[in-house]
Amino acid sequence: MIQLKHVSKVYDNNIVALENIDLEVKEGELVILKGVSGSGKSTILSLIAGVLKPTSGDVLVDKKHIAKLPDHFSSQYRRDNIGFIFQKYNLIPTLSVWENIMLPLVPLNLDEKELQEKLMHVMNMFTIVHKKEVLVKKLSGGEQQRTAIARANVNNPKIILADEPTANLDQKLSCEFIQILKKLKSLHKTIIVATHDPLFFDLDFVDKVIEMHNGKLQRQSVVCS
Amino acid sequence: MKKINLYLLEYALGYIVRYRAKNIFIGVVLTLLIAVLASFFFVQNSLQYELASTLDAQPQIIVTNQKAGRDTTVDEKMIEKLLTIKGVGDVTSRVWGYYEFKHMNAKFVIVGIDTFENQYNTTLADIANNGELNASSMLIGEGVQKILNKSYYRDYFNFMTPDLHVQKIYIAGVFKAATTLESNNMIVMSKDTARKIFGYTSSEATDLAVSVTNPDELSAILVKIQNLFPTFHVITRKDFKIALQNQFDKTSSIFLTLFIITLFTFFMIVYDKSSGLSSEEKKEIAILKAIGWKIEDVLKARLYEGLIISLVAYLSGIILALFFVYVLNAPVIKNIFIDYNDMTNDFVLPFVVDYETLFLLFLLSLPVYMFATVIPSWRVATLDADEVMR
Ligand SMILES: Nc1ncnc2c1ncn2[C@@H]1O[C@H](COP(=O)(O)OP(=O)(O)OP(=O)(O)O)[C@@H](O)[C@H]1O
Ligand SMILES: [Mg+2]
Repeated sequence: MIQLKHVSKVYDNNIVALENIDLEVKEGELVILKGVSGSGKSTILSLIAGVLKPTSGDVLVDKKHIAKLPDHFSSQYRRDNIGFIFQKYNLIPTLSVWENIMLPLVPLNLDEKELQEKLMHVMNMFTIVHKKEVLVKKLSGGEQQRTAIARANVNNPKIILADEPTANLDQKLSCEFIQILKKLKSLHKTIIVATHDPLFFDLDFVDKVIEMHNGKLQRQSVVCS
Repeated sequence: MKKINLYLLEYALGYIVRYRAKNIFIGVVLTLLIAVLASFFFVQNSLQYELASTLDAQPQIIVTNQKAGRDTTVDEKMIEKLLTIKGVGDVTSRVWGYYEFKHMNAKFVIVGIDTFENQYNTTLADIANNGELNASSMLIGEGVQKILNKSYYRDYFNFMTPDLHVQKIYIAGVFKAATTLESNNMIVMSKDTARKIFGYTSSEATDLAVSVTNPDELSAILVKIQNLFPTFHVITRKDFKIALQNQFDKTSSIFLTLFIITLFTFFMIVYDKSSGLSSEEKKEIAILKAIGWKIEDVLKARLYEGLIISLVAYLSGIILALFFVYVLNAPVIKNIFIDYNDMTNDFVLPFVVDYETLFLLFLLSLPVYMFATVIPSWRVATLDADEVMR
């Protein structure tokens, strides 16, 4: 479903973030990308989400060339396929929980009923509905994350990308996230989690753990369950 | 196209509220700008309308006598001579002039009429139809009454003649004039009374009003009058119109310069404010793009936002201007026009609202604002979302 072929990314300041990456993720798989800070995990996620273009190589999602999409279509592609849980959540702090979650749906101009259904669905699923009117800047870290997850799922995407999802969470909340991950996996989402949190490395429902080092893939270990 | 996206509109409204400090600032500047421009336009329109109706109240031809190249009085005996010219319909002597009320800082026009004569103007015709004026009475315009009342002249006024005699003239009534200008500066009395105040002899007149039977022959008749009476100065209503229009065009061009300067200033202020998108705003745009908004969605939201702000500013600007011009009677701005065009001041502007002007203002203010807000957002929106979010 997701394929990276000979992908390299060199940033404007000549930092080589990725070097000749080959990677394949099948539909419904849960893949953990691990590696130290600066190894290029976030860069891979951005490439798959189409918010970044590779310097060379090709990114294919559902056989579509994501890397070559013009801006207009890459937005459309994200809207239809991708739920991105960002490293720092990237919520809009001055909007309320439900306003944040609704944002991906705004350009679609759905009717009121359909919109409300979608919102209630994800807010219930990620237990944030009790805070729906609260401004995001007044939420706790865990609540912010659940809001971000709800927003990533509101358009019912096939692919979920999560960047350091537990970096700002304590032990208990991290475990909660693992449960959410399990739930998403059971919904047959294709999931890639970038993290260096050891908590993820030997979960029984993870399909692959891929280690990165200096912009290269170190090894792929298949977790047997 | 689908129906209007209310969610996007709501988002735009929310955006205005969330970044209110900046948006209120821009809104206020825009409102003031529109108010100033609209006031200028309103005053200009009103005065132009007023002048046009004043001109309509002028005779077709005015003949003045000249001495040493300056206007002087004319003898009524000339009426007979003018009437011998073929094509001349009617000739009336006019006795009129200015009288300065120095302590009131006002200058009024005294017009003398004989009620049995044909009047060349509707206001005067109305007055003449309504009755006699005796040797020591006058009729005053409504505006004149207000000014006299301020100085407690309710029943009479003591005029001073050139040979320093006092002429006590009673206020016999107030007339309703066809134009505001007349209402505000016209005093009507009998010709003989006016002559006394001006120090004229009994057959002296200020000028002669001439009408022609066939307007097509106007220029031929002008030539005839000029040939027969070389010392006479002949002015037509059309000449008047052109002279006044020139004056107005001059004022308007000064105003136009002002207009462009204001517009430019505003553009700079707004551009400065909105091109400096705060990092929060930039980040918000990047987030929206990362979650699937297209550039056009971002720009549409900004467009809505701009539309809301400029519509509100436009409407409040116009209301402010209407209040300023027609309730407060446009202090300061009015004087720019009036000083320049040498018109009497204490003068109520007639209510003239020209839709073209309103539309023009709308067209001029809206795109400027849109330009200044949409372009910077467009620049951010076309960047890689990834870079802005880090
Ligand atoms: N926009 C950018 N411009 C320039 N260099 C960048 C940019 N983004 C990332 N880099 C660099 O590219 C390399 C890879 O960055 P990336 O964010 O992908 O790493 P990461 O594995 O996600 O790290 P972390 O664990 O800290 O999030 C780093 O050296 C980083 O400094
Ligand atoms: Mg990262």
